[in-house]
Amino acid sequence: MSLHASTTPQFKQNSRDALADENLQSALRSARNGFVGKRAIARAKMGEDEFDALRNRGRDLKNHVLANLGDYLEAYEREVIASGGHVHWAETAADAQAIVLDICRKAGAKTVNKGKTMISEECGINDHLSANGITPVETDLGEYIIQLRDETPSHIIAPAVHVTVPQVREEFLKAHTHLDPDRDLSGLDTLLKEARAVLRAKYFEAQVGITGANMLIAETGQSVIVTNEGNGDLSQSLPKVHIVMASIEKIVPTMEDAATVLRILARSATGQDMSVYTTFSQGPRRAGDPDGPEEYHVVLLDNGRSNMLGTEFQDMLRCIRCGACMNHCPVYQTVGGHAYGWVYPGPMGAVLTPSLIGVEEGGHLPNASTFCGRCEDVCPMRIPLPKMMRHWREREFERNLTPAATRWGLGIWGWFAKRPALYRLATRGGMAGLRLLGRGRGRLGKVPLAGSWTDARDMPAPQGDTFMAQWRAKR
Amino acid sequence: MSARDRILGRIRRVATGDDIVWQGGGATPAIARTSGADRVERFIAQATAADATVTRLDGLADLPAALAEELRNRNLPAAIRHGAEPDFAALDWGTVAASQGMGRIDEPATLSKARCAMAETGTLVLTSGPDNPVTLTFLGETHFVVVDAADIEAGFEGVFADLRAAGSSPRTVNMVTGPSRSADIGQVLQLGAHGPIALHIFVLGA
Repeated sequence: MSLHASTTPQFKQNSRDALADENLQSALRSARNGFVGKRAIARAKMGEDEFDALRNRGRDLKNHVLANLGDYLEAYEREVIASGGHVHWAETAADAQAIVLDICRKAGAKTVNKGKTMISEECGINDHLSANGITPVETDLGEYIIQLRDETPSHIIAPAVHVTVPQVREEFLKAHTHLDPDRDLSGLDTLLKEARAVLRAKYFEAQVGITGANMLIAETGQSVIVTNEGNGDLSQSLPKVHIVMASIEKIVPTMEDAATVLRILARSATGQDMSVYTTFSQGPRRAGDPDGPEEYHVVLLDNGRSNMLGTEFQDMLRCIRCGACMNHCPVYQTVGGHAYGWVYPGPMGAVLTPSLIGVEEGGHLPNASTFCGRCEDVCPMRIPLPKMMRHWREREFERNLTPAATRWGLGIWGWFAKRPALYRLATRGGMAGLRLLGRGRGRLGKVPLAGSWTDARDMPAPQGDTFMAQWRAKR
Repeated sequence: MSARDRILGRIRRVATGDDIVWQGGGATPAIARTSGADRVERFIAQATAADATVTRLDGLADLPAALAEELRNRNLPAAIRHGAEPDFAALDWGTVAASQGMGRIDEPATLSKARCAMAETGTLVLTSGPDNPVTLTFLGETHFVVVDAADIEAGFEGVFADLRAAGSSPRTVNMVTGPSRSADIGQVLQLGAHGPIALHIFVLGA
């Protein structure tokens, strides 16, 4: 049993709690403005047309990979083995846990260093290693902070985006007991220096390093990681054993295809032209190499992805985990990542979570959207996220998982919609009613049955005639 | 049946191929198509924008003096750690104490030779091996990197062509764009996370 079980079914309560959490709201406010503006500038600097052409190329690239995924996975596996590495296939999260634990035990590992990997989060690797007497140490600064707080990431590229500076200070004072309790931690730089020193020592202690992979290259058998801190590289270069955890859809055919993804990844994520470190790793250290791991293992995770192929959710497998969809999402910006209750938040999480843990668990998430479409607008892989959320709503409805009040409302709407004359009459009547309620002010402070909507803002009173009436008049 | 066979079986039931003869890459943007002096200039401008510092030198013979001066100006000890790079072995480091080997836990300054570089983004490309231990790239507080101007490619395409032409297959190819950084504390970007706090590049030749 994972210590961090999904709270996705409580999405609505999670959201209410998030809105009332002053620390969270202050952290979200400071994050919101950064990401959106930086992406826009990075895109403009390259030239918007060229950037968008790369997005098209990225989409076509991943569509091609998915259509030939079996062949590419086999080619990739051959290359990894040829360069002296090992490939392990994991059908489920539990399989991945068992594979990783087995490798760690064979290496005699007491501590395991972790670069940032969402696949490890998906598989609950930390809890599994801890339960079996092996200490996982998160080395990405954000992951380190949330590990101290015993939390899961709230953003796929900025895992501690919900944590405020005073909260970080408090955790460091609590955790770093070997240091003077009265030391000066007032500056941001002192916090960073302290984390750097504490983790620097840990890099040399671990027997195993685990990283994720932004891509797996079929042509060469290389795994690629993209980081800004350098922690993923220290985690994979100093221990005896390097384990890469990656899901099956991370494949690209060639190094040049990796370039296509790299050209849109950092710009979409943080607005950088290029992340600081992009590392291509192939097999264990070579004969004569003074450093690098002696063993190289890749754990290829399926965990429900092969079942998405050929369905209306296949396009989701193009995702390169940049986080642009959540950075631009009004819902994510308001409730933060933890409200989503599982590993993947925001629009990409709203589509992926029901695919991976089931619509019974994750069915609320596709409803957490205004369908404003910004996620699809900014997605570097042009994933039609709103369309796929609609598909999930349909499935939720088909399985009778939609709440009674919603079904009842949809039933009434459907009855009218199938009777156009009555529908028009009803909308005209509704309009007249609302106009009456808003008389003189042009807006309504209260609308029957929409109390929670009008609690926070006024509803504009309808003006003029219905769309159908205007259309008939102007035709 | 193994997990591998079951996964591949599920995939192949629906993913049955698309008849496309795939050509890798494509859609190369203009920023990745510079040439001549523009290429070197773009490399320097992009590296500087990524918070690296750059000095141009006429040739390798000027490196020891330039390095000694940089160490002095940065108030660093007169010592450098580097790998078995043949270019460095032949140099007389003078007053700077040079040592060879992989990175250690406390490493004030390290020196590497880049295999090539990329003007597109101001990125250095290093390949691991005895000549260039990978840990030197990440453990040095200040990382010095030497690159020949002639090895600066316009973009990714040129870099991958160089790597293929070299025919070697190093354990890691490290693309480095500026010193390490993190915005994980309060969403404020700070330089020097786990890797180098400063990155200084010596560009050799015109």
